[in-house]
Parts: sequence; structure tokens; C-alpha cells
Amino acid sequence: MTNQPDVSIVVPVMNEEANVVPLVDAVREALREALSWELILVDDGSQDRTREVADALSAKDPRVRLVALARNYGQSTAMQAGFDCAHGKVVVTMDGDLQNDPRDIPLLVEKLDEGFDLVAGFRIQRQDRFFTRKVPSWVANRIIRWITGVAIRDNGCSLKAYRRELLSGMRLYSEMHRFIPALAAATAGARITEVGVRHHARTRGESKYGLSRIFRVLADLMSIKMIRSFRVRPLVLFAVLAAGSALLGTLGVAASLVAIFTFQPTDATSMVFPGIALLWFSLAVFLLMLGLVGEGVIRQHRVRGLKILPLTRMRPVP
Amino acid sequence: MTDRTTAVSVTAGSTSTGGDSPAAVSVIVPVTERPHDLAWLYRTFSEEFVAAGRPFEFVFAIEPWGRTLAESLDPLMASGEPIRVLEVGQTVGESALLDAAASVCTNSIVAMLPAYPRVQPGALEELVEMVEREGVDLASAVRVSEGVSPLNRIQNRLFHMLLHRMGGGGFRDVASGVRAMRRSILEDLPLYGDFFRFLPVLAAREGFSVVEHEVEQHPEDQRTRVYGPGIYLRRLIDLLGVFFILRFTHKPLRFFGLVGSFFALAGGAILAVLFVQRMGGRGIADRPLLLLGTLLVVLGVQAIAMGLIGEIIVHLNASHSRTYRLREDLPAGAE
Repeated sequence: MTNQPDVSIVVPVMNEEANVVPLVDAVREALREALSWELILVDDGSQDRTREVADALSAKDPRVRLVALARNYGQSTAMQAGFDCAHGKVVVTMDGDLQNDPRDIPLLVEKLDEGFDLVAGFRIQRQDRFFTRKVPSWVANRIIRWITGVAIRDNGCSLKAYRRELLSGMRLYSEMHRFIPALAAATAGARITEVGVRHHARTRGESKYGLSRIFRVLADLMSIKMIRSFRVRPLVLFAVLAAGSALLGTLGVAASLVAIFTFQPTDATSMVFPGIALLWFSLAVFLLMLGLVGEGVIRQHRVRGLKILPLTRMRPVP
Repeated sequence: MTDRTTAVSVTAGSTSTGGDSPAAVSVIVPVTERPHDLAWLYRTFSEEFVAAGRPFEFVFAIEPWGRTLAESLDPLMASGEPIRVLEVGQTVGESALLDAAASVCTNSIVAMLPAYPRVQPGALEELVEMVEREGVDLASAVRVSEGVSPLNRIQNRLFHMLLHRMGGGGFRDVASGVRAMRRSILEDLPLYGDFFRFLPVLAAREGFSVVEHEVEQHPEDQRTRVYGPGIYLRRLIDLLGVFFILRFTHKPLRFFGLVGSFFALAGGAILAVLFVQRMGGRGIADRPLLLLGTLLVVLGVQAIAMGLIGEIIVHLNASHSRTYRLREDLPAGAE
């Protein structure tokens, strides 16, 4: 590709053969005059004809590009594959099920031009089931906001626009696509804002989400919290935890002394409290050692010359 | 594809060399377990390649203790047979031998053959043919025979049942060790420890097309195999390692968090019961259950903490590694 398009639209698709053609038509219609664009369809190991349909569309229109993954890797990795192939000055992500509306893309890009690094869409009138989708989403967004400290009201909305430089320093893995704003804020100090976007009910294909993801989201949240707060000094976290553990150990010792000097301790009593104290002290030592391992890992990372903070700005712009 | 072939994971990506002349193959023979006469092995297994008109080379990878075994190859090498012997300086294990040998192979198709006959000689050419002609990335032999020992069958079924549970489903004989594959598989998959055994599983996981193909077992391989307890323990540990690699390499907190939560919740429940009893006026200072509850909470915290450190390591490494494979070349202009 010789000319850099204004926007690269990255759309992970899996088993969306019925949606691919309408999606491409909708993007063409929405961005006809407004922006130069490329649409990157990332086939995430579809079992239906999604890949063939996308391939045919790509053959007809060079702006439509297909990236086919060798197997189903999940949405985060699919997005990353799309980012790796994107040429646009701005990268926009959206779902392949047509629930997002491509007509909102110019709005997001316009907002980005106001000086933001990431513009997140939030669904104004969400067209999903109330109890199985909206309520869990509302709770999850509250928890995510509380834990990550990034005030995004709709983390589940895929329609987002990113400045390309922001993504170049970030690698998505596991299921981190939900937390890109939190990661961007944590690792790059990105300036983030939100705009309201349209949302349509799914008309074709099946939803790939279920309630089983609650544990996975919670585990990812812990991970994000760790990365956000302690990625530069993991020893701090582990030292705090170790201090708490040592405190509990001290209480165990105190309880042992009270038992020895106040009562006539039985054999069992004289074993239980010292045993508990030892357990907490051993945990404290373990956590401290683990924190030191973390410090070593961070140091190795820096020694290899890898950047911790990928996004830096200079003003005035040279 | 013949009736004897089971597709374990099928994707596109045929890179058939085209044309009529068969593609050249490099056969790696890691000389480790129960080695046979290597000259005999070469003569027996190269015959089919000669008959098919296929260019080939044999690379024997040998640890220091096996140098005398390689002496039988000297006359063959002197007479110009396509044999190379790679001697490593120390005992490194089969994975490292395979890795070292793969690095010196130049042909686009690589086959692996144990140093003693596990399958009939024609099997290797069949597997290579599948890789060359049928768009398969890796073809692995499944040994079949009428006279297989019941104990061997039970061991094999148990192993593959466990492997299936661990996430490597669909395989019937990953331990056959007789395989043919595109060289790119060995370039993409790091081999270490005992993971050479699970190469088909790991390759399928990475999105390569892998098939198992039934071949006739060699009579010498049919005798009952009984190993020491240490070997069985190592296999179990291998399976645990594969389980972790297949499912949690990029999300360690999911594994350690699950284990840790289980311990912590069990410990927390015990402590909660004791707390309620203490509030009811019953003493708990002499209750070993208090010790158990605390121990479980401590174990839980340790497991979760390990997962957090794992996440930091994965996060830092993710910034300079690609975690996916593309099914085909990117469109023109892609990076």
C-alpha cells in the first residue's frame, strides 16, 4: 500500500459469514466521502465461510484486507494481528456483528483530532438483553472503573479509535482487549475521552459471549491492576502483602505468649498458635522473595533496552 | 488422504512443491533410547526413498556416549551415502538433539525417526508423501499391529486419555516418534525438555495442520514395555507441563488464581466456621483445624502471588513477541 489511509478499521470476525458483506457495505457507505480508509477483517479461525467471503471482498476492493489467523486465538490476539497490519494514521476497532455503526467512525476520528490518544465509544441506547447482558455489563464497568481508575463507562463497546503511535508500543494478549484504555493509561499515559455511539440489535449470527467469562474478567482485572500499579516496582506490592502477613504472624506469637503465661496450655494449644505464627511468617518471607524476583524481571527487561513507557510527547511539536 | 488417516487439526496452507520430482527430505535420527545398529537402520529406511526417487539425507544426532555406535556409519559415509553425524559435546536429551539436528537440515521437509525400528520401513515415505502432496504440515505415525501387547495398549490408552483431558485431544499415538513435517514447524516451535514427545499436539495448537496416519508397527517394537516408576512420574509431569502450556502460557493468573482461590476459599470457610464457634463461646486455641484453615489461606495467597508475578513476566515479554500465526501470507503491502 503506497498511500497511508486516514483510518484503518480493524474488525475481528469469527463465524460471521452472514455479516461480512453488510459490514463492508456499511463501512463503504459511512466513509464514502469523509475519510480515506482500509478495512482489515481478521478471521479468527472461523469454521464457516467467513474467510472465503472476506477473501472474495478483498479481491474486489483493495481497501478491504483479510488477515486469516491459523486458528481461533480469541478477540485480543485477533485485534493485535489487525493492529500489526494497519497502515492508517488512526486505528478504529469495531465488532463484526453490525451492532456498532460505522457512521460513528468520523465522529471518533474528529474527537481524536482534538488532542486525544484514545476515544472510546459508549453505547447510548444499548440493544441487548437486560439481565444477561446489560446488568452484568453495568456491574463489570463499575468494578473495572474502580480497580483500574480509568473512568470509561462502557468498556464492552468495541468501537474505539486510537492514535497509531499508542498501539505501536502495546501488545495485546490473553483477553486484554477489554482493558485497552486501562492499559493505555497505565503503560503510556494516554489521554482518553468518550463519545456516545449508536448501537443496533444483532440481526444475524450468534453472540460469542456468555456468563462464564466472569472469572476470566476478574483474573484479568487483577492482572491489569498489577500492571497498572506495580509494573515498575513489583516489590512494593509484595512488601506490603508481606508486611500484612508478618503482622498476622506477630499476632500469632502474641497469642502464643498469652496462652503460655495466662493459661495452663495443653499440648494442642502450645502447638496451634506458634504453628499459625510460623505459617504467616513463612508467607511473608515467600512474598518478599517473590517481589525480589519481580524486580529482577523488570531489571532484565530494562537491561535489554525495552521501553517501559512507549508513548512520549514533546511540545511544541518540532 | 487415506482411510487410515485421522485429521487432528486441519487448516489450509498447502505448499506442495509442485512438479513431478519428489521433494528432498532430511531424516533426523536422535540416538538416545535403545539404539539399534545405525547402519542397518539407514539401509533399511533409506530403501523406500531410493525406490521413490526422492532425494534424502540422514542426520544422526549423537551424544558423547553414542560415538562408538556411529562408527558403523563411517564406511557408508566414505562410500558417499548422504549421511551426516552430528556429535554434541554433552548429554543433552532428545529435544536438544532434535533441535541441534534441525538447525543443520536444509531440506524443506524434515522427518524424525527413533534410533530403533518402531514402524515398518515404508511408513516414513508415506508420511513424507502426505506432507508433500496433501497439504499437511505434520504427519505423525500411529502404530498398529495385530500382536500389540495388552499392557502396551492399556498404557497407551491411559496416556492419551490423560492427554485428552489436558487439552491435547484427538491424538492416538503421540509417542510413536515417527513424523514428517515442514521445516517451518521446527523453526516456530521451541523444543526443550521432554516436549519433543508432544510436538504434534503443540503444532496443532499453533494452528499447523496435523494428521495422524496409521502405519504397521515393527515387530521389534511390539514387545511389552514396562518402565520404572520414575518414567511414569516424568510422563505425568510432562502432561502437567503440556496442560499449562496449552491453556495458560499467556494467562498464568487464570491457572494460579483458580488454584489459589480454591485453597483460599476452603481455608476461609474453615476459619469462618471457627470464628462462628468462637463467638458462640467455644474455645478454638486447641483446634488443629485452625492451623489447617490458616495453612490453606497461606497456600492460596502464595498461588495467587505466583500468578501475579507470572502476569508481569508475560506482560513484559508480550511487548516483543508475536503470539499468533497467520494462516497464509498477508496481502501485499502488509507488514
